[in-house]
Amino acid sequence: MAHKDLREFIAALDKAEHLVKVKQEVDWNMEVGAIIRRACELEERATLFEKVKDAPGVSILGGPCASYARMALAMGMDAGTPKKEMVKEFDKRIANPIKPMLVSSGPCKENIIKGKDIDLFKFGVPMVHDGDGGRYIGTWHLIATPDLDSKWVNWGMYRQMVHNETMMGGLLLPIQHIGQIFQKYEKAGKPMPFATVIGSEPLCAMASVLSPAAGVNEVDLAGGLRKEPVDLVKCETIDLEVPAHAEIVIEGHVLPGVRVDEGPFGEYSGYSSAPRSPRPVYEVSCITHRHNPILPVSNMGVPVDDSDIVCTTAFRNVATAALAGLPVVNVDVPAYGSVHMVVVSVRRAYSGIAHHVASAIWGTKLGALVPFVVVVDEDVDVFNLGEVVHAIVMKCHPVRGVHPQPNCPGHALWPFLNFHERHWGQASHLLLDCTWPVDWDPNIEIPAKISFGTSYPKDLQEKVLKNWGKYGF
Amino acid sequence: MAREYDTYTDDVSTIKEGVEITIAIRETDIYRTRVVKAIVSSNRKALPDGDTLWVRYNLGPLRPEPWSIKILADVPGLLIKKAVGDQ
Repeated sequence: MAHKDLREFIAALDKAEHLVKVKQEVDWNMEVGAIIRRACELEERATLFEKVKDAPGVSILGGPCASYARMALAMGMDAGTPKKEMVKEFDKRIANPIKPMLVSSGPCKENIIKGKDIDLFKFGVPMVHDGDGGRYIGTWHLIATPDLDSKWVNWGMYRQMVHNETMMGGLLLPIQHIGQIFQKYEKAGKPMPFATVIGSEPLCAMASVLSPAAGVNEVDLAGGLRKEPVDLVKCETIDLEVPAHAEIVIEGHVLPGVRVDEGPFGEYSGYSSAPRSPRPVYEVSCITHRHNPILPVSNMGVPVDDSDIVCTTAFRNVATAALAGLPVVNVDVPAYGSVHMVVVSVRRAYSGIAHHVASAIWGTKLGALVPFVVVVDEDVDVFNLGEVVHAIVMKCHPVRGVHPQPNCPGHALWPFLNFHERHWGQASHLLLDCTWPVDWDPNIEIPAKISFGTSYPKDLQEKVLKNWGKYGF
Repeated sequence: MAREYDTYTDDVSTIKEGVEITIAIRETDIYRTRVVKAIVSSNRKALPDGDTLWVRYNLGPLRPEPWSIKILADVPGLLIKKAVGDQ
């Protein structure tokens, strides 16, 4: 059963003992950020800050989905659901999209602010990390933008920094749908409408990090994830619809031909690698919000945080779909790889299968942004990072197994690129082929794997398992 | 009371000292961006009645010695620049 709003999700976190409620006042200026970051690094619970300095009535939810347990709770599943099971349920739901439903009003309309009363600072927006280019209001949210020449409405999670009371800045990368849509508006000299939806129930935010084909509305995928339609209401000043249950909705336009310095920002990669640069500007025309709004904040950095959990699950979904028809056994995008590594296990079917797999992944829009593809044989459990590392160091030949792919797309957030490459999004990819070559004779050339499951007769294994407790273990 | 601001650049030679310039700064109490006409100096003694201006590198690190800034007037809006690559 889907949560009707963020507050119901918070109640579920609390009930499952996956929430810490902080009653004492905390400072939006890095204290909130520091607490969320440390909680992520300790794999602690989500944090609800009930009293934020300078922001009476506002609460902050830190790290809403920074663990697989929280993601399972968001999906209405048991917190203890194994990852393998949960991601497969995720795939199943995505495959069954449900159209949204338009409703006349909703909680997000409890307060409507326009004109001179607009003030982005009143929401306790955090300075997340020292050195950030500003206070980031958009860290766990979705931005809806309509295509210029079709009925497509793109949802995506793109960072948003507050410049002043009414203006925000952000990255609109040309490889992302928002960047491609904005290019159309800019070419036509038109402002692009946007609606930033903050504090939707968590599955809407999760759907926004998926990257379906251009023309597919993520709101339908959110419906699939929820197993029921998303209720939408019309915006006040632009022709867009947004989730009725959202905590805060910011409406406005992205201005054509205008760039203002934005960033830097501590990003999903665990580094602040994109320097302050001229980037597009969001001009706010209206803010609607619930009474006592709750601002979700994701503090991205070294793993594991919300991005590592949710974006890897979304990338896994895309990679799995891209590999349909290939002799693939399993796919994982490990959280510790921060969306930069896909691991695929394959049946030993034909020569060049690792390249086939990597090409299929890199050929997708989202897969192009995953620089490392690791292909392993089917005996390796892709969900077990220890087994994957062992396969890399024992089966990947340091020359013959390593296949760099130059001249690929990338972006400014990749720490290993030099300054020029970051500026122009010029990157390279790498395939690590950890499969035994098809032309190696299994009896002569392929080494025997030494493990409990492979090195002992079945009847002996059964005997050991049966007597395991009796041995004193 | 002297106020504190900061600005970003990798190359401090791009900030002209001792003459009126237009510069984007942040108020470091609430991190609000302002565009101002101002005189700045890396030598705080040269602008004794100025406010504090911290200078950060474009990736965020703070330079150790603050500058001085004397704000002459606010310029409405933000400091508009051209798009280059959009990365």
